[in-house]
Amino acid sequence: MTSSLLRPPGHLSPATALQLSQQAPNIIKNSPGAVTASAFSSLFSAPETPELWTIYENLLLSCLRTGDEESAHLCLGRLVNRFGDDNERVMALIGIMKEADATDDATLEVVLKEYEALLQENPTNTPIVKRRVALLRSLGRIPDAVTALTGLLDFSPTDSEAWSELSDIYFSQGMYGQAIYALEEVLVLQPNAWNIHARIGELLLMSIKSGDQNDSAKQLGEALKRFCRSIELCDDYLRGYYGLKITTTQLLEDPPKPSKQAESDGLSPPNLPTLQKLDGLATEKLGEITRRFTAGERGWQGFDEAEIVAARELLEKSSSTTVR
Amino acid sequence: MAQLPPQTIQRDPQLFYWILFPITVVMILTGILRHYASVLMASPPKKVDQPSLKEQRSLMHGVAVRSNSHALSAPSFKARREFLTTAFESGAYLKDPERRGQPPANPMTDPGAMDGMMGMMKNNMAMMVPNTLIMSWINTFFSGFVILKLPFPITIKFKSMLQAGVATKEMDPRWMSSISWYFLCYFGLQFVFNFLLGSDNAASQMAQQMQGMAPQAPNMFGPGVDADKQFQAEAENLAVIKHYSVLDDVEQRLLEGIKTR
Repeated sequence: MTSSLLRPPGHLSPATALQLSQQAPNIIKNSPGAVTASAFSSLFSAPETPELWTIYENLLLSCLRTGDEESAHLCLGRLVNRFGDDNERVMALIGIMKEADATDDATLEVVLKEYEALLQENPTNTPIVKRRVALLRSLGRIPDAVTALTGLLDFSPTDSEAWSELSDIYFSQGMYGQAIYALEEVLVLQPNAWNIHARIGELLLMSIKSGDQNDSAKQLGEALKRFCRSIELCDDYLRGYYGLKITTTQLLEDPPKPSKQAESDGLSPPNLPTLQKLDGLATEKLGEITRRFTAGERGWQGFDEAEIVAARELLEKSSSTTVR
Repeated sequence: MAQLPPQTIQRDPQLFYWILFPITVVMILTGILRHYASVLMASPPKKVDQPSLKEQRSLMHGVAVRSNSHALSAPSFKARREFLTTAFESGAYLKDPERRGQPPANPMTDPGAMDGMMGMMKNNMAMMVPNTLIMSWINTFFSGFVILKLPFPITIKFKSMLQAGVATKEMDPRWMSSISWYFLCYFGLQFVFNFLLGSDNAASQMAQQMQGMAPQAPNMFGPGVDADKQFQAEAENLAVIKHYSVLDDVEQRLLEGIKTR
């Protein structure tokens, strides 16, 4: 139970987040509200753990997500009590709280002004910079958000979170080349992130679909390799197999012209037997995952429901074409 | 073979209450006091301004590109290499580009460096002053008392250690003087402090001494380090790296891996 509270709640499904925030009053009641700084009482009370504050922070986010603002205010109050309201992370949390309390765009603009004032004082306040980017993006001011984000990355190019957010913004604008570049920066910082490998593959596929670049042999080849790498790193990563299946299908049905460029970069698609083997592998694994997930076998749970449905549809489509 | 009768010394039981017990309590209390004193005196980490943050992070970014270059495909690595080497060589990320090529400033004049040294001084003082005080306190009041008999026999070599301050040649080394009890506390109270204050306390002198003895890690961004030189070196490292990509032959590796499983 608390283990899911120790990780940032962004990945939680709505159901889990709701469950967490429903337990919030209990957790708040049972956890110590403040840890005394006095030497004498600290000899007798339980020692302060970093986990306690992580739990408050994540609980705050979960509560905001599910609209339980009362508990969120309690959590924030305790964090402010402990760390003071000039702590950078707490400042960002206070900002989130204000954003959540805001009812219209005018109030959000006021919050934005506050962020800008804080950044005037201390331009390296990374949590606030990130809040500002998120707020700008949710206000629909995408160019401003990109400028703010590139400003952050200019002085802190080792921030993988910021790079992936930048990639997501570029992707939402259909700028695939830039989005892929930003994701490659994430890979430079986290070379074994299999989801990022697969994500690059997905972006490459989408950029072929949108047709803004014409060297599709190279792009398909790289997408295939990215999916393979992500499977190599995590051998039952559903999205990896899904992407692999799509890429191999596309390569088998409609092989692109071999290009010099792809050849010299070492990114040309593999030969036909390898492709067929890879296709078979992806089909087999996708089938296994969907079957075992639906059967409710132990150790095969935890996949995303929507992804399973999509995988099953893909399999049905491909099997119907082979029968025909 | 006449066995030596065990030495017996008639000790006043009051010795226990007035020497052994006070020394122990005082040691524990000073340890706790030292912990809180160092917590109070610890200066908060200094804010790094934006240009120097940029300088540090850019260098780290360069190192990351170099060491994780295998995650990139050949063309994207080539593009990054070209961009980063030119930027590094031209000093685009330097804190103050005008000062390129000049010798680094004397660390003594840099207020940032002085801060770090003051911190070290404070720590050392917090360790040395109480120790000296307690030593002299014990020497003045309790020297020459035999306060304790160890429950196990030990060899004669320990005599000088355990009976410091008691100049009696014939006495069994099992007898301990007060100053020796002080040393025993000094080395042995670490676990008591761990229990009372948590494991990362500043009270246990032993841990601090160990830290002092370990060779200091070279300070990458410390004062007196020429950032321009670091950037030049990093540019060279990037330029000479022989790039391989993890994407090369990944499908073969994958198929073979599946087969062997």
